[in-house]
Amino acid sequence: MRLGFTQSEEQFRAECADWLNAQMAGEFADIRGITTLTEKAERRKEWEQHLGAHGWSCIGWPKEWGGRGATLAEQVIFAEEYARAGVPGRVNHIGIELAGPTLLALGTEEQKRRFLPDIAAGKTIFCQGFSEPGAGSDLASVRTKARLEGNEWVVEGQKIWTSLAHISDWIFVVARSEEGSKGPKGLTFLMMEIDQPGIEIRPIKQINGDAEFNETFFDGARCPADSLIGAVGDGWRVAMTLLSFERGVSTLGQQMAFRNELDGIIAAAKANGTASDPLIRQRIARAEIGLQLMRYGAMRMLSNTDHSKVDGAALTYKIQWATWRRNLGELAMDVLGQAGEVTGSPEYEWGMLPNLFLYSRADTIYGGTNQIQRNLIAERGLGMPREPRGDA
Amino acid sequence: MDMLIAPERLELAEAVRDFLSGTHGPEVLRRLDAGPNRDPALWQGLVEMGLTGLLVPEEHGGLGMGLLDAALIARECGRVALAEPLVESAFVAVPWLVAQGDTSDLATIARGERRIAPAHRLNGAVADGEGAALDSIDPLRRLTTLPADASDDALLLDLGALMAAAQLVGLAEAMLDQAVEYSKIRTQFGQPVGGFQAIKHKLADVAVALEFARPVLWRAAQALDDGIASAAVHVSHAKVAATDAAYLAAESAIQVHGAMGYTYEVDLHFWMKRAWALGGAWGSRAFHLNRIDAAVIGGPHPIGPENTFA
Repeated sequence: MRLGFTQSEEQFRAECADWLNAQMAGEFADIRGITTLTEKAERRKEWEQHLGAHGWSCIGWPKEWGGRGATLAEQVIFAEEYARAGVPGRVNHIGIELAGPTLLALGTEEQKRRFLPDIAAGKTIFCQGFSEPGAGSDLASVRTKARLEGNEWVVEGQKIWTSLAHISDWIFVVARSEEGSKGPKGLTFLMMEIDQPGIEIRPIKQINGDAEFNETFFDGARCPADSLIGAVGDGWRVAMTLLSFERGVSTLGQQMAFRNELDGIIAAAKANGTASDPLIRQRIARAEIGLQLMRYGAMRMLSNTDHSKVDGAALTYKIQWATWRRNLGELAMDVLGQAGEVTGSPEYEWGMLPNLFLYSRADTIYGGTNQIQRNLIAERGLGMPREPRGDA
Repeated sequence: MDMLIAPERLELAEAVRDFLSGTHGPEVLRRLDAGPNRDPALWQGLVEMGLTGLLVPEEHGGLGMGLLDAALIARECGRVALAEPLVESAFVAVPWLVAQGDTSDLATIARGERRIAPAHRLNGAVADGEGAALDSIDPLRRLTTLPADASDDALLLDLGALMAAAQLVGLAEAMLDQAVEYSKIRTQFGQPVGGFQAIKHKLADVAVALEFARPVLWRAAQALDDGIASAAVHVSHAKVAATDAAYLAAESAIQVHGAMGYTYEVDLHFWMKRAWALGGAWGSRAFHLNRIDAAVIGGPHPIGPENTFA
């Protein structure tokens, strides 16, 4: 175990901070501090390209694919400074955190050449076509169909909750390629260009009025026969590999954003006097403890390079942060009292906290609900008997 | 001792429930959200039911009923996420004016021609007031800035907290109903998701919270009506229990709905947002818990076996 950072790592931190702050004070000042993924989409794409042009897009990737081959410590440092500088979230996070690492792990050399440099350069934005109206928690029951027609796949069906599909260039799709197959068998992992007549995207309005996600309809959508990762019928394994990257280094950047949110609540509690309330003080202390234990848990998870065993930290991370943040949203509302109801008014300076509350309602649902996470922990982690299921 | 509410007192609330379920369904909430938020025809319907005059003494043209009757109806207003400002005008402002001996407006309030938006300093804003408009997380709440002459009267606060609690109970009941229904029709892993214990237990917990919030609410309404010394503590208990139940109902209902619960097209969000708004109004949980602990620990609230059911 080695905690803390070396002198050269601290120099790297200063370099990151200087560069990020310079961009956010200069050319990209107009996007600094944005907390949603939908605002100023075009400028956000320009930011992706700017990161790529300066080699800051995917620093953990190998140099040959547009990365810097950065160490874990350096990636941690960059994520921290990114959040500290108020840089908005990555609109290509699906590409850089999910599609890219999956291609690095399972893609052919040709696929890597074709996609990775463009993802790193911010020129190819990816979105994720997993969930369907009838396949949410039960992801393996996808019904979207793919059939080979000559040298092309033809896809029919519907995906849902496709975040940022409306600004994306490519979508990866888990589709049923073997007719009559059920569950995780007979699925293929395709990569499809979005701008084609067979794909239609309709936005879904969220409870906060924003529309980050979409329904994506496939009606005779096409892609070349070799536009797949892994083998035909091997899509479930590829999808599971991809999901394992959801708990990658990006979690550290997320924790810095959490830090900012908790600091905002503490500032609000001090300003309106609730910081003298013992109940509020204890909940703030609990939130601080929760944040710290997530931080050390994540460091341990990322330090583990032996993926042959079930990693308890990786298995428990999602439910931990999701529940923590949902509770943080409720703490924000209790700190604010009725002011927590007021949004977007300059005289109510805590406008960001009610938004945090609304956003955090989704945390315990997406990427595997808390109920699914508990089943995974119990069944995979503890080896308990699997839950009885219906006739699926 | 009798903790049941007399059947004749429930009759009016049941009539209101029938009326509101027939005239104030989710399609009305969607219509109001797309338009100007308030509808004179809906208001007129409430006036014709006599609800604006429910607590106005008979000599001023009202029905002269009590706070328990009003709380039963405020709960019904919560059940349908009523947008019109009936509760705060007729069930909070009216009994406060009566207690002040200010009867000048009562007849016009009873006739529905005048509405009072009670302004209390503990609140950061006024619902349906006359100040500058503020945005609420609840698209059907009309929030306005707090006037400089807002009251800090203790009775007004208790009335507001009591009626917020009553609405929160109704909101929680409606969210629980929606979640139960959805759990029966949403299928995953080859069966309705309501068949999974993880889902059943979540909603059973909401049912427990609600079952124990209701009698506390009725106790608080009766205590405030009777003007007993411990009324404020009962009101705080009701506000905490109702807020706990409503927040738990909201959290559980959205979870049972999955990602659909996070969308605008599923109507659940109207109830959730009202619950979140009313949970903070008229004193947050932290405020009311502090009132309870101050009363219980070294305060005036009598403890000991002979006071357990007081």
